[in-house]
Amino acid sequence: MTVTEAPRDVAESDPAAGGPPAVVTEDRPAGLAALVGSGDPATVGKLFVGTSLLFLLVSGVAGVLVGFEQVDTARFEVIGSGGFGQVVTLHSVTGAFLVVLPLLLGLATAVVPLQIGASTVAFPRATAVSYWTWLVASGLLLAAYAADGGPFGGDQEAVALFVAALIAVLAALCVTTVSILTTIVSLRTPGMSLRRMPLFSWSMLVAGSVWLLTLPILAGVLLLAYVDVTYGQQFLGGADGIYDRIRWVLWQPTLYVFAVPALGIIADVVPVFAQRRHKRHRVAMALIGSFGVLSFGAWTQLGTGVDGEAADPTPWLDEGVWTAVSFLVLLPMLGLLGLWTGTLLAGRPRLVGPLLCSLVAGALLLLGLAAGAATAVEGLDLVGTTWMTGQAYAVLIATLVAAFGGLAYWAPKLYGGLVPEAVTRLVAPLLLVGAAVVAVAYAVGGLLDQPQWVLGDLSGNSDESTIEALNLVAAIGGIVVVLASLLLILGVVRAWRASAEAMDDDPWSGHTLEWATSSPPPIGNFATLPEVTSEAPVYDARYRAELAGKEAS
Amino acid sequence: VTATSTEAGALVPLTDAPAPIPPRPRVLLVGTMFAAGAATAAILGMVALYTQVRAQLVSQGETWLPEGTVLELTPGNMAFVTLLMSAVTVAWVVYALRNDDRTHAYFALALTLLFGVAFTVDTAYLWQQLGIGVADSTQAVLIYSITGAHLAMVVAGLLYLLVMGFRALGGQLTGRAAEGMQAAVLFWFTAIGVYAVVWYAIYVTK
Repeated sequence: MTVTEAPRDVAESDPAAGGPPAVVTEDRPAGLAALVGSGDPATVGKLFVGTSLLFLLVSGVAGVLVGFEQVDTARFEVIGSGGFGQVVTLHSVTGAFLVVLPLLLGLATAVVPLQIGASTVAFPRATAVSYWTWLVASGLLLAAYAADGGPFGGDQEAVALFVAALIAVLAALCVTTVSILTTIVSLRTPGMSLRRMPLFSWSMLVAGSVWLLTLPILAGVLLLAYVDVTYGQQFLGGADGIYDRIRWVLWQPTLYVFAVPALGIIADVVPVFAQRRHKRHRVAMALIGSFGVLSFGAWTQLGTGVDGEAADPTPWLDEGVWTAVSFLVLLPMLGLLGLWTGTLLAGRPRLVGPLLCSLVAGALLLLGLAAGAATAVEGLDLVGTTWMTGQAYAVLIATLVAAFGGLAYWAPKLYGGLVPEAVTRLVAPLLLVGAAVVAVAYAVGGLLDQPQWVLGDLSGNSDESTIEALNLVAAIGGIVVVLASLLLILGVVRAWRASAEAMDDDPWSGHTLEWATSSPPPIGNFATLPEVTSEAPVYDARYRAELAGKEAS
Repeated sequence: VTATSTEAGALVPLTDAPAPIPPRPRVLLVGTMFAAGAATAAILGMVALYTQVRAQLVSQGETWLPEGTVLELTPGNMAFVTLLMSAVTVAWVVYALRNDDRTHAYFALALTLLFGVAFTVDTAYLWQQLGIGVADSTQAVLIYSITGAHLAMVVAGLLYLLVMGFRALGGQLTGRAAEGMQAAVLFWFTAIGVYAVVWYAIYVTK
């Protein structure tokens, strides 16, 4: 099969030194064969984005079903008691590993090479293989659920299939991450030092590094679970014990590692629409880096019992480190919010879709982090309640909204068209309202001692009717989020179908290198590259041209 | 252009000097570094769980290994020594390739592959002697999974070395272009380092 990809080495030649042009550009091939056999990062990135958006609908519908199931906690009327745990885990596992991570990785696969002036990713074929592996493994994972597998499943073989599929999903995501990190480290254009990197690429370097220290650990533990389920069921308690091995990823601080690229997206979008350089770019890099370091949380796994003896499930709760991290992680976020506010106040903000999404994402993320800090306050006893569910929703939906903003921002480079402004203007407030309703309703339920989904029921709770009303509100908020996501997907489809000929190369007056090439870029990305002497080379070039124009006149 | 000459005893700028060749991006080496780090995280995460479960059981006043388990130190030591010897031979491969000494490169590579196969046989022997099946106990699940995962890493390293060896045979990795073999060697060194932890956690402090 033909593999369509740009030769990596051509980007290394230096036209200024009299060599050949930096990149020999070609038209993109079309048709199914070009799609399936493509090693072009833009194509693979779009495949990741498109598929993860489809899985978002699966995860969203599962979440809404779970929400309505909890409206009457005494009876299981929507899903049934047998499948409740499975639908809960379907919602969370697909949300994390079939939606959020691949969406961010897809965006990064398409955008990072453009931002750093590379012609392609470091391992285009491995990236393509990782996408198809992820897709097949994701299909197997959903098939395992359909065959009564997954955590709390009744069919042992289907449960084992779920674990094996999830390991394959994680492995595929790790391969893509390795490719992106290697691209950032090795293929930056001359002049682009690490300190001059665009903040989205920097955030991917930080996030990817932490992902590579986190996802393999989860895969290793799942390997133990697979052996346990397949052979003995001595260790983790079979199907009922598997989710305890997974859910630490959705607890703080590991939960925050999903949000690191969101910080980078916001940091790239804000200065462009403020029409001003990002304030203190290097400080922002340090803040994103420290946020990433603090979000490493493989040490907060649940304790494992042995020989029938129960272990302390959360031994790290009594240690000061967890409490300290829960509060410390707020500091870089506050610092970044300060820098973004300063940038916006110093510039002339254009309140368009991508910026709106970024503002919503920033607000939701702050809400989630503040909720996380409250979780660590010992007297509140919020651990194990739906307070943590609400917090997870706030952080993950914030990440999704930032990714949506990124999709709208980079749509000209990905699809050669713009997501309709009316769509992004509508989606951003809808997501804010939907996410806030879900997060706050579950958080208040947590304050009223509602246990987290699969941990228990409400028997004996005097606030049962209030909690059930809150659960109904949360379910309605979930519907708003799903509908808003659907709307954005339609907007992306519209951008995809838009004519590339009519597209401006730089419709936003961008600052970074991706705006120095056509929309969409040709294979090989760049015909020529501007000189990189700062973190905003395109902004510099535009400023110099304007200055020269003024002097000439 | 910043190059200079000492012509006539003074430093003179060479305005017509060609631009230096940009350094070749070492993508394979960097990618292998990240991949090896991920593989290390996976196995060390399992070892961490192993030590946590063991500490919990021991704190209850019980012995770690169930009755009938034969976990001798000698095969583990032999495996470790075998890998350490392969560390020497694999470094020899890179040294020989850098000096375009293809004969010694092939000889050292063959020795490395031999040591790798010997390690595989040693691990298989250890499993055969262990005296417990995978389904017998928690300890068995942990021991088989961890040593099996590390064996998979070693096999992956062997295949990597083999592929790079074929490329060297094809003449692609001689002299300055030995990056591919360096990448394979980096992965192999990482596998040895990980085994040091596995050996200490499972065989020494049992």
